Amino acid sequence: MKKVLIIEDDKFLRELLGKKISSLGYSAVLAIDGEDGLEKMKTEKPDIILLDLILPGMNGFEVLEQAKKNPTINETPIIILSNLGQSEDIEKGLRLGAKDFLVKAHFTPQEIVNKIQMFLN
Amino acid sequence: MNNEKNSINIDKDKILIMVNNFPDGLLIVDEKENIELISPSTEYLLKQKKENIVGKNLYRISSSEIDLKPLIKVFKEKEEKNKEEVTLNNLLLEVSSFNFQNNKGRLIIVHDVSRGKLVEKMKTEFVSIAAHQLRTPLSAIKWSLKMILDGDAGEVSKEQKELLEKTYSSNERMIGLINDLLNVTRIEEGRFLYNPEEMQLEEIIINTLKDFEEIIKIKKVDVKFKSKEKQLPPLIIDKEKMTLAIHNLLDNAIKYTVPHKGKINIFLEQKNNDVIFKIEDNGVGIPKDQYERIFSRFFRGDNVIKMETQGSGLGLYTTKNIIESHNGKIWFDSEEGEGTTFYFSIPFKV
Repeated sequence: MKKVLIIEDDKFLRELLGKKISSLGYSAVLAIDGEDGLEKMKTEKPDIILLDLILPGMNGFEVLEQAKKNPTINETPIIILSNLGQSEDIEKGLRLGAKDFLVKAHFTPQEIVNKIQMFLN
Repeated sequence: MNNEKNSINIDKDKILIMVNNFPDGLLIVDEKENIELISPSTEYLLKQKKENIVGKNLYRISSSEIDLKPLIKVFKEKEEKNKEEVTLNNLLLEVSSFNFQNNKGRLIIVHDVSRGKLVEKMKTEFVSIAAHQLRTPLSAIKWSLKMILDGDAGEVSKEQKELLEKTYSSNERMIGLINDLLNVTRIEEGRFLYNPEEMQLEEIIINTLKDFEEIIKIKKVDVKFKSKEKQLPPLIIDKEKMTLAIHNLLDNAIKYTVPHKGKINIFLEQKNNDVIFKIEDNGVGIPKDQYERIFSRFFRGDNVIKMETQGSGLGLYTTKNIIESHNGKIWFDSEEGEGTTFYFSIPFKV
């Protein structure tokens, strides 16, 4: 079973998405902030990561930078899932190595899973 | 001889009036770098009285309140400057220096940009906070409604489904409204182009059309795109903004035509030094008495409000702003009940 790490500070969003992802045959691992996310990247070794940007403490861009610097996890695809969406943010995210940038309000849970599927194949 | 003297006096008078009423800090310096004249604003910016500046050497001015060194350091004898940024006492200044002819000294302009920069920063922050704060609860509503509708939380009756679908589309409308507002703020934030690059308008049209494929199919609208010339000259375009402009025009054309009967034609052509974009529809048209307000903020035509279609009244306003920031022009022809044609022109480099 492929493992998806969700780094999202909003409890409701995190759990909704976790539920959807689990129901479609993936294993969902949840992280509540950037520090927790980085830790779980190392211990859980997910196949793909969904990363929020505005997080308490370390923000998503910093998480992305750290992850890309670490040779044991820098191959794992990271998709940014945020409600920011200005071209500066998108460019920055992609420049730092994210595979895609999804604005939460523009995607349904099913559409997010479709994206995950696409990157895993 | 007398006449000449008179005209010199008048010129001197003009210069004095200009300097005394100029909003920026102005310093006129002679060939030995001694300060001859300053504008009243200079006193405020340098926190020093006029009598302690005029007559002094430019490199020896000082103030008891603030350190003027960061400013003085900018100057080198006879070297011209154009808007060099200096931070002085929490103020952000742009300093320029222009030499007079025949080595007769120079003019130094100290322009305070602190307020502008602050407002710009606040606006950018507002946009990003608004986006995040408003979109987060809406995402939660969207995701949970969709999951209930998908049956992820158990079976849903037909009646429940209908209500939930209506709620879902209201929520989608709200998300759309926020996008429109953000776009307006972003466009107004700078009337400059964020990311100009050389490209073909055709490419943007083809990409934008792809976003509408589904709705075109559902509404059974006949959309055609033709370019008159084989190869039009490339334009300097901000891709994101231009996409938004064309998206808005196409969105209106589709929205305001009758399903199954809609015909939309898009043309591109070259005329003099412009590339002209034209989008023609056979939709509801614009009432004559509302022509003047069509590009104003939050305006929606009487006839389209009655159609109950969604709209924020920001699309054409934003589009006009975008076209104008590309040094272009936008206009339209319309006949109520017959259809509307919108045009815009963007100049290309010759």
